[in-house]
Amino acid sequence: MSKFLKAFLFVSLVFAPFAASAVTVASWGGAYTESQQKAYADTYSDPGSIVFENYNGGLGEVRAQVESGNVTWDLVDVLPSDAITGCDEGLFEDISSEIASMGVPGPDGESIAEDMEANGLNYHSGWDCCVPQIFWTYVVFYDPDAFPGEKPDSMADFFDVEKFPGKRGIHTWADGIIQKALVADGVEPNAVPTVFANQTGAIDRAFEVMDKIKDHVVFWSAGSQPLELVKSGEVVMAVAYNGRVGAANLAEGENFEYIWEGQVLDQEYLCLTTGSPNREAALDFMMHASSPESQAEQAKYITYGPMRASGIPIIEANEPWGPGGVDIMPHMPNTPERLKVSIVNDPQWWSDNGAEISERYSAWMGN
Amino acid sequence: MEDCISTSALLTTDGVPLKQSLKKAERKNKLRAFLLVFPLLLFIIVTFVMPIGDMLFRSVDDSQINGVFPNTFNEYKKWDKEKDVLPPEEVYKALFEELAYGEKIQIGRALTRMNYSKSGWKSLIKTTSRQIKKAVKKDELPNNYKEFLISANEKWADPTFWYAMGQMVNNTTPIYYWNALDRTYDQDQNVVMQDEKRRIYIKTWIKTLKISVYVTIFCLILGFPVAHLLANLPLRYSNLLMIFVLLPFWTSLLVRTTAWIVMLQQNGVINGILVWLGILSDDGRLQLVYNETGTLIAMTQILLPFMILPLYSVMRVIPKSHMRAAQNLGAKPATAFWRVYLPQTIPGMSAGGLLVFVLAIGYFITPELVGGKDGKLIGHWIAYHLKTTLNWGLCAALGAILLGVMLIFYWLYNKIVGIDNIKLG
Repeated sequence: MSKFLKAFLFVSLVFAPFAASAVTVASWGGAYTESQQKAYADTYSDPGSIVFENYNGGLGEVRAQVESGNVTWDLVDVLPSDAITGCDEGLFEDISSEIASMGVPGPDGESIAEDMEANGLNYHSGWDCCVPQIFWTYVVFYDPDAFPGEKPDSMADFFDVEKFPGKRGIHTWADGIIQKALVADGVEPNAVPTVFANQTGAIDRAFEVMDKIKDHVVFWSAGSQPLELVKSGEVVMAVAYNGRVGAANLAEGENFEYIWEGQVLDQEYLCLTTGSPNREAALDFMMHASSPESQAEQAKYITYGPMRASGIPIIEANEPWGPGGVDIMPHMPNTPERLKVSIVNDPQWWSDNGAEISERYSAWMGN
Repeated sequence: MEDCISTSALLTTDGVPLKQSLKKAERKNKLRAFLLVFPLLLFIIVTFVMPIGDMLFRSVDDSQINGVFPNTFNEYKKWDKEKDVLPPEEVYKALFEELAYGEKIQIGRALTRMNYSKSGWKSLIKTTSRQIKKAVKKDELPNNYKEFLISANEKWADPTFWYAMGQMVNNTTPIYYWNALDRTYDQDQNVVMQDEKRRIYIKTWIKTLKISVYVTIFCLILGFPVAHLLANLPLRYSNLLMIFVLLPFWTSLLVRTTAWIVMLQQNGVINGILVWLGILSDDGRLQLVYNETGTLIAMTQILLPFMILPLYSVMRVIPKSHMRAAQNLGAKPATAFWRVYLPQTIPGMSAGGLLVFVLAIGYFITPELVGGKDGKLIGHWIAYHLKTTLNWGLCAALGAILLGVMLIFYWLYNKIVGIDNIKLG
C-alpha cells in the first residue's frame, strides 16, 4: 500500500464519523425552523447531529444537487406539490417500505398514512418519499379595533368592500385567494377543489369575484408583510399564514381575530433527497420528526397543526400546551369544526395547473 | 524565395538554422505565458463559458422526453390531422408500451416537461399509468389500445392534448423562446399568440427595460451633482459626504428595501408628512409602494452609488484650470460647463450608466419586495420557473433573451459612445 493511500485512509477514518453524523435539513427559516429545532431536533436522541439550513422553497436547488451528484441536503422540508413532483422525478427517494416499517405508530397503532387519512387527506405520490409535518393555512385575519361596529366573519365579507370598506392585503401568487373567492361566491368550502377540478369556467368565476376587490388590494410577497400591513392600518384585513398570526397573538400581545371560514389548509412534508450522504441517520430522524409526540410538541412553538390526527389528542389532553400557560387549541387550524369550513388544498391539481394559473394571476394583478 | 535562401544560410553556433532556434525559444516563452494565464482561462471557462453554454443549450433542448417516448413520437409524426380527429392506433399502442415498461423516474421527469405544453398532462399520465401497470400485472394486454386508454381516462379522446404533444416530438425546440414572448403553437405547429389572459412576458420585458432606463436616468440626474460636489469640495467635507454615499452602500440590501417600505407606505413617513402639511387629504394618501413607483424609487436609491463612484473618480482628475481657462477665454459659466466640463465626464457617465443599467435589468429582490401588483421585473419569472415550475427550458430562454438584450445595448453603446470611452477610475 502506498504511503499516500495510507494517509488517505487514515484521514478518512478519522473524519468519517464527523462527516457521517451531521444530517442537514433544508427548511424555511424563521420561527418555523426554530419550532422544528425545538420540537424535533432538541428532543432527538442525538440533537447535535441535526443541522438546519435555510432555503426559500421550490425544487430548484434540490434538482441542481441531484443532477450534479453533489448532494448536501439530506432532508428537505417541502410543500405537497413539490413533494409530488420531487418524488415523481426521483429527486426524492422512494422510501415507502421504510416509512411503513419504521414509522412511529399512533397510540392505537395507526400508521402514518392512516393518521393522515383520518385528517381528511388522500394518498398522493409524495407519500412515497416523504413524511408529514404540519398543516398550515391561508387564513384571513383583522384587527378588531378597525371595525367598531359589526365585525366581518365570512369570505363574503372579505370580498364585500361596501359592507366593510378598507383595503385588503393578499399575496402575489394565486393559490390561496382564488379558492377563497369561490367560497365568497357561495361554494361550500369543502367542495372548492372538486369544483375547480371538474367545472369548466370555475377559474373565470373566481377571477370575476376577485375583480370586485381589485382596486382595494395591497399585494404582499413575504410572510411578515401582512402583519405589518394590518398593524400599520395600511389594510383592514389580510390573508396570512396562520402561524404568523398566532405568533403575533401569543408572543407579541396582539389581539387579531381569525376568519376560519374558507381557510386554505395546505400540507408540509419532510423528504429524503436521492443520494443523501447520511441516508440511514436521516431516515431515523425523519421517523422521529413524524411521530405524533413530535408533531404535538411542535404546536407549542408555532400554531401550525399536526398532520397526523393522533397528534391532536395529545395537545387537547395537556392544555394549556402553549408557552406561558396559554391554550393552543384556539389557534389550531385543523380542529374538527374548523375543518368543516376549510378548503383542503389539492396538491395534485395545483401541480397540474399551477403554472398556468400563476401566469393568469400575474396578468390580472398587473392590469 | 529570397527569404528561404537567407535563412538556410544563417546558422547558430551548434549548427541549427537560426530561424528554427528562435522559434524554439519563442515557443517556450509562449508556452510559459500560456501556462501563466491558463488558471485564469480555466476559471473563465468553468465559471462563465460553461454555464452560459449550458443555459443556451437547455433553452432549446428537448431530448429527455424524446428518450422516454421515442416510438410514440415517431408514430405521432405519421398522424394526418386533416384525416383523423384522433391519432391512429399505433400511437396509443406505442404510448401504452412506453408507459408500461419505461423507467419510472424518467417518465416522472417527462411528465414535468409535458405539463408545460398543456396543464393536466401530469395527472392524466399518472392515472393512466396506474391502470396500465394493473393491466400488465394481470397479463391482460388490451386488444384495442385506443379504447383501453380512452376508457382509462376520457381525456385521451380530447384532441387538444394530442395537439400539445406536437411541441415535444423533436430533440430541439424553439418553443421556450416563443413562450418567453407570449407565443405558443397551434395544432399545426404554427406560432400563435398565447391565450389573452395569460400574456405576461412581453409586458414584463417592456416594463423591465422601461424601469431600467428610468433608473439609469434618475441615477444620472441625482448622481451627477453629488459626484461633482464630492470631487470639488475641500477634502474635509468631501470625505464626510463620501461616507454618506458609502454608508447605505454598505448597508444590507434587505434593510434598505424594508426601510423604503416604511417610508413609502400609505401610513408611512412620506404620506404622513404630506398629510400633516395639508398637501394631501387623509383619504387621498398616495400609493407609493407595492407598485411600479415603489420599484422605481427603491431601485434608484439602491443603485445610486454605482453611478456616483465612477462619475466621481472621473471628475476628480479633470483639472479645475480647464473651466477657468474657458471662462477666461470668454465663455459664460454655462457654456464652459456644457462645452468643456461635460464632455470630459462622458467616460464616467457611460461607465456609471452601463453599470446601473446592467444591474437594474436583472434586479430581483427589491422589485420582489416592493413591486406588489405590477412592479415585478423579468427576474421574478426566471426565479419562479427555476424554483416552482422547474421549467428550466423557459428559464434558460428568458435568460438567453436577457443576455441578448444586454449585448444589443452594448453594441448600441459601442456604436454611439465607443467602448474605449468607458472609464471606471
